Amino acid sequence: MKRYLALTKSAFLSVITYRFGFLFTFIGNLVYMILVYFLWRSIFRGSTTIHGMTFDQTLVYLALASSIFILFKTWTEWFLARMINDGSIAVELIKPVDFQVYMLFRTFGFVLVNLVVITLPSVLVLFFVFGVRIETGIGLAFVPLALLLAFLISFALDYIVGTSGFYTESTWGISMTKEIITTLLSGALIPLQFFPEGVRRVLELLPFQAIYHVPLTLITSPDLALTDCWWLLATQVFWVLALLVVSRVFFSRALRVLTVSGG
Amino acid sequence: MSLIAVQSLSRHFRVLNRREGLIGAVRDLFSVDYRIVKAVDGVSFDIEPGEIVGYIGPNGAGKSTTIKMMTGILKPTHGSLLVDGNEPYENRKSNARNIGVVFGQRTQLWWDLPVIESFKILKEIYHVSNEVYDGQMALFNDLVDLRPLYHTQVRKLSLGQRMLCDIVASFLHNPKIVFLDEPTIGLDVSVKSKIRTVIRELNATHNTTIILTTHDLGDVEALCQRIIIIDKGKIIFDGPIKQVNEMFGAYRTLKVQILSFQDDTMDQIRAQMRKRFNGVPIIVENTEPGWTDITINQDEVPLLEVLNHAMGSFAVHDVRIVEISMENVVQKIYEGALE
Repeated sequence: MKRYLALTKSAFLSVITYRFGFLFTFIGNLVYMILVYFLWRSIFRGSTTIHGMTFDQTLVYLALASSIFILFKTWTEWFLARMINDGSIAVELIKPVDFQVYMLFRTFGFVLVNLVVITLPSVLVLFFVFGVRIETGIGLAFVPLALLLAFLISFALDYIVGTSGFYTESTWGISMTKEIITTLLSGALIPLQFFPEGVRRVLELLPFQAIYHVPLTLITSPDLALTDCWWLLATQVFWVLALLVVSRVFFSRALRVLTVSGG
Repeated sequence: MSLIAVQSLSRHFRVLNRREGLIGAVRDLFSVDYRIVKAVDGVSFDIEPGEIVGYIGPNGAGKSTTIKMMTGILKPTHGSLLVDGNEPYENRKSNARNIGVVFGQRTQLWWDLPVIESFKILKEIYHVSNEVYDGQMALFNDLVDLRPLYHTQVRKLSLGQRMLCDIVASFLHNPKIVFLDEPTIGLDVSVKSKIRTVIRELNATHNTTIILTTHDLGDVEALCQRIIIIDKGKIIFDGPIKQVNEMFGAYRTLKVQILSFQDDTMDQIRAQMRKRFNGVPIIVENTEPGWTDITINQDEVPLLEVLNHAMGSFAVHDVRIVEISMENVVQKIYEGALE
C-alpha cells in the first residue's frame, strides 16, 4: 500500500508544478458558474420551482457538477493512449506493480490536486460569493464516499477509452464521444430531473449518472431517506465493480497486441 | 540452470499492408491484407550469472523485441523463455523485482520531479530497505557523484546526466539482471566512457548480470566478454568477443580526402595499391563525396605503410582512420568470415 501511496504523492507533486494551468482552469470554472447563474435565472423567471427544484438547488447542482467534472478531469485516457502509441508504456510495465492500480493511484494524486486547487475554492466561492443557500439532509454524510465511488467509475471509463489506444492510433474521437455522452447523460449539463420521465428512467440505469447525479442528489435533496442513500450508493458500487472488471479484462487482452516500436 | 534460458523464441507482428496515395489510404480503412513480420525468429541462448553480454545487431534486427520479451512487456509468439526461473510475461510483477531496465530513448524517472524524488519513489515501489538503499546510493556516489543533480527536475537534465540517473535507478533495488537497451545512444565520447565505467563497476560489485544492446561496437569492446549478434530476427553469432576481435579487430578503414578528385582517381589508387602491396587484399571504395575508403587488415599490412604510400602518391588533403562498423561486421559474418 505504501508504495502505491508513493505514486499518489509523486503525481500530486508532478501535477502541482503546473500552477498557471490550474489558475486558468479555476478562472474558467468561475466563468462557467456565472454563466450558469444567469442562464438559469432567466429560465426560473416567474417560477420558484421547476420539476421540483428551486433556483438555488439547480444552481448548486450545476455549479457543483462542473466542479466535480474538473475534479475528475485527469486526462487519464489521453495519457494512457499516448503511452501506448509512443511506446513509453514500456517503462511503466517494467515496474513490479499492477498497472491498473498503478494508474489509479497516480490519477488519484491528480484528483487531489484538482480538489485542493480548483474544486474546494470553487465551492467556497459558490457559497460565500454567490451566496446561495440550500437545505441539506442526511445525504450530505454520504457525499465523500459517493465522490470516491464516482471517481472510481470515472477512472474506469477513462481507462477503457485510453486502452482503445492499443487498437487505434488516434483516440481523440472516442474520447470526445465519451466526454459528450458522459456530460449530457449524467446530469452534469442539465439536472436529471429536467429530462422527460421515460428518458430519465433509462439514464438512471446507465453508469454515467453514478458519477454526477448520485453525489449531487445526495447534496441537494434534503428529504432523502436513509434507504434512498444506501440505494444510490449501491448503484455506484455496482458500476464500480462492473467497470473495473471490464476495463481490466479489456486491458489485459489489448496488451497482447502491443507493438512497441523503436527503443 | 542458467539465469536466462531462451529456447527457439519467436515474436511475430501482424502488420497491415498500406497502399499508396489517397485512394489507397481510403481502401486501407477496410483492408484485411496483413503480413506477418518475424521480428524475432527462433532465437536460443543461455546467460549465466555475472555475465555482461552484448546483444547487438543493426537497426530493426530484433534486439529490442527480445529485450521486451525478457522484461515481460511483450508476449512471445512461440518458444520458451525463463528469466531466473520465471516466465516474464505471465509473471510480469515478480519478474520485475528481479530485473532493472534502461530504455535509452525513454526515461523511467518522473519527468516533473527532482531526481532524488524519483529515487525515493522507486525505493517504495521496489520495497527497497533503508540499508540497501543507502548502500546503493553510497556506491553510486563513489562512482559518479550525482548529488549535485538531486534537486534538478528530470526534464532539465542533459541527455548524459539523465542517462546516468536512469542507469543508477535501474540498479537501485540491486536486481539480479539489468537490461540496458542502447544506453549510450546520442551521447558524446566523454559521457560514454563515464557510463561504461559505471556499468563495469556495478557489474563487478554485485556480480549483476547485464544484457546490453547497442549500436556502438566501442561499448561492446569496453564491457562485454561475450556477444550475441542478431540480424533479421535470427542469431548469426554467439561467442566470446575475442573471436570477433581476432577476425575484425585488425580491420581499419583509412579514409583519405584527395584534392582534385577525378573520375579515375579511384582506379588510380587501386592500381597504386596493387602495385605496391602485391597480393594483399585491399578494398578501395568511395562511400562519401570526395573521400576514398581504403580498408585493410593490419595483420597483413601495416596501416602506416599504406598511409605513407597514399600520401606519397596523391595530394592528400585530410585523413581519418575508422574502425570497422557494426554493419560491416554483420556483412562479413554473413560472408562466412567466422567459419
